[in-house]
Parts: sequence; structure tokens; C-alpha cells
Amino acid sequence: MSDDIRTLSETLAADPSSIVFVQLGEALRRSGQIELAWRVATRGLDRHAQRADAHDLVARIAIDRGDFPRARAEWETVLTLAPGHGGAQKGLGFLCFQQGDLDEAARYLGAALADDPQDESLAAALDTVRASHPDRRPIEEAPTLRVPVVDARTLFQEVLGDPSQTAILLDGDGYVVAGQYLTADGRDLGADIGAQLSGVSEEANRAMRHLSLGRWRQIVFEAESASVAMAPSGGGVLLVAAPRSVPLGYVRRLLERSLERVRRWTGARA
Amino acid sequence: MVVGEGDGMVVDSNLQIGVNGDAFAALTASMYRKARRAAAAAGFGETGFFELDAEGGRMCAAGRNDLVIVVIAEPRVNVGLLRVEMLKALEAFA
Repeated sequence: MSDDIRTLSETLAADPSSIVFVQLGEALRRSGQIELAWRVATRGLDRHAQRADAHDLVARIAIDRGDFPRARAEWETVLTLAPGHGGAQKGLGFLCFQQGDLDEAARYLGAALADDPQDESLAAALDTVRASHPDRRPIEEAPTLRVPVVDARTLFQEVLGDPSQTAILLDGDGYVVAGQYLTADGRDLGADIGAQLSGVSEEANRAMRHLSLGRWRQIVFEAESASVAMAPSGGGVLLVAAPRSVPLGYVRRLLERSLERVRRWTGARA
Repeated sequence: MVVGEGDGMVVDSNLQIGVNGDAFAALTASMYRKARRAAAAAGFGETGFFELDAEGGRMCAAGRNDLVIVVIAEPRVNVGLLRVEMLKALEAFA
């Protein structure tokens, strides 16, 4: 058993309601322990049926088990919970291709490629689908040429999954560029929280100028009710906050995924 | 190092030769103070553990009762273990 799997198992054993089951299921799947991954993922899904990433995980394990109808059902659920989810579109694209539904495969893969134009495997898969088509006619190409319109406030929704987790992208002046921080009554406190916390990154920039540690890459700190992670992004800073019940290592992963989301978003807008 | 959070002065330290303890103490205490105030203002409550990951190393801090434990470490350090030990050591400030 790898150290990662052992640590994640212990975390899940200590708190069975933890969302760490997504990481654990994926780690087990990658290590070839498919049936164990399946049990972890489906039990986790029972507790967190509204999480798109849990359905996505179950779908991928279902593929490994050869259960294609279940995989299709799970990915369709993902698209209901998180419209435009790249992983689900990609999965459904490959599934349709395997089942000979080339038009649908091209539609899904085209949409996935529009969401992530840097993914070379998608471009190659789409080329294969086109080449496999009996009349070699261009199939549903429009999505690949169109930059998807994304509401900046919901930019991180797909990455974060759980609404209690928040990500806010701030520019160099502390203004919110993307993301939101919604209170229980629906108010967006993103600007207030961002303004308070962006001061920490300014302090870090100042410290780095005086110490010989190079550039700072990440700051993580734990407060009573939240764990906060931040990293430089463009000329500003990206903040991620999650309840203290979320493991600190997972908060760092969320930060990395959110940074990747910003890179794709800014790349698509450029 | 143990550092005063308010003034950034070193109270006690155990440093490798060549490390500028005074500069690290002052700047880390300042960052920790800023994070603590910002988190409180944002409604997140009191700050416990703080970590900065930079290209050349890590700076970790944990404070209580106006004192901050500051650790400067290599980038490859096991920060999870460091965190547990720092929080344990913090009990001595209670």
C-alpha cells in the first residue's frame, strides 16, 4: 500500500463523511485496486450524491470494470450537476466512440476540447473520430472554434464542487476578477474577504524582497473556522478557503486545480 | 525561533550559521500578524498554523499569547510533521 493511500485511508477512517474518498478512490483506481476503489467511491457517493467529482470517479471506475451503461449514467449525472464538466464530456465522447456513435462522440469531444484547448489527447481523439466517419464529413465542429462563455463568478464551481469551498481571483489592486464567497443567506462577500486577505500576499512579496528565498509559491494558513490557501496568479492572487473539516492537503490540491482553471480561462480569453 | 508577534524580536533561537535570524524573525512575525488580522477581519477566527512555500525554502509559524514559533526549512521538508510538532510545542505557551 502506498503512503498516499495509507494516509488517505486513515483520514477517511477518522472521518467517514470526509470528501477525501474522491482522492482515495482515484489513488486506488490508479494502483489497479479496482474493486476496492469501487467500494470506496460508491460508499462516498451515497453520502455525497450532489458532488459532480464523486459521480465522475464512479464513472471512471465503472469503465475499468467494463460497466459502460453505469459509466454513461454517471457522466450524464455529472453534466446535470456541473454543465460543461470537461471530464464527463471527454468520458462520454470516448464511450460513444467505442460504441460506434460517431456523431455523438464528436459532439462531446468537441465540447471538451473547447473547454480545454490545450489537451492534445482530445484533439487527437477528435481527429480519430473524424477519420473513422464513413463519409469523412466534418462533424459538429463548431464547438471547437467557439470560446465558451463563462460567468466569472462561477468560474471555480466545477473545480470546487462543494459550495462550502470558495475560490476568489483578485487582481493586483485587490479587486475580485472571478469567483465569489456566498454566505448562507446568499450575499457575496468576495470583495470584502478578498480585500482583507490580499494584504497577506502583499506582506509576503515584501518579505521575499528582503530574504533570499526566491519567489513565494503558496501560502497556507489555518484559522478557527477555515483553512485558507493562496498563490500568485497573473499580477494578482488566487485565494481558496474551505471549512476546517476539509484536510489541509486537499485545500492545497483545490488551490492547484483552481490555478489550472484560471490558466485555461485566461488562455481561452486571450 | 521564538519571536514576539508584536515587535518581531527574537526571544530564543536555534539557527544554522549564515541564517539572518533577525530578518526572518521580523518578516515572518509581520506576515503571521497580517494573516491573523486578515483572517479575523474576514470572519475566519483566530489563526493557528501558517506556512509560506517559496522557491528556496519554507517558512512556518504558529502563535499563541503574543509569541510565535518560526521555523525556516528546506523546500523538501515534511511539512505535515513539522506542523504537528509546532502545534505541540505551542502548548508550552499556554
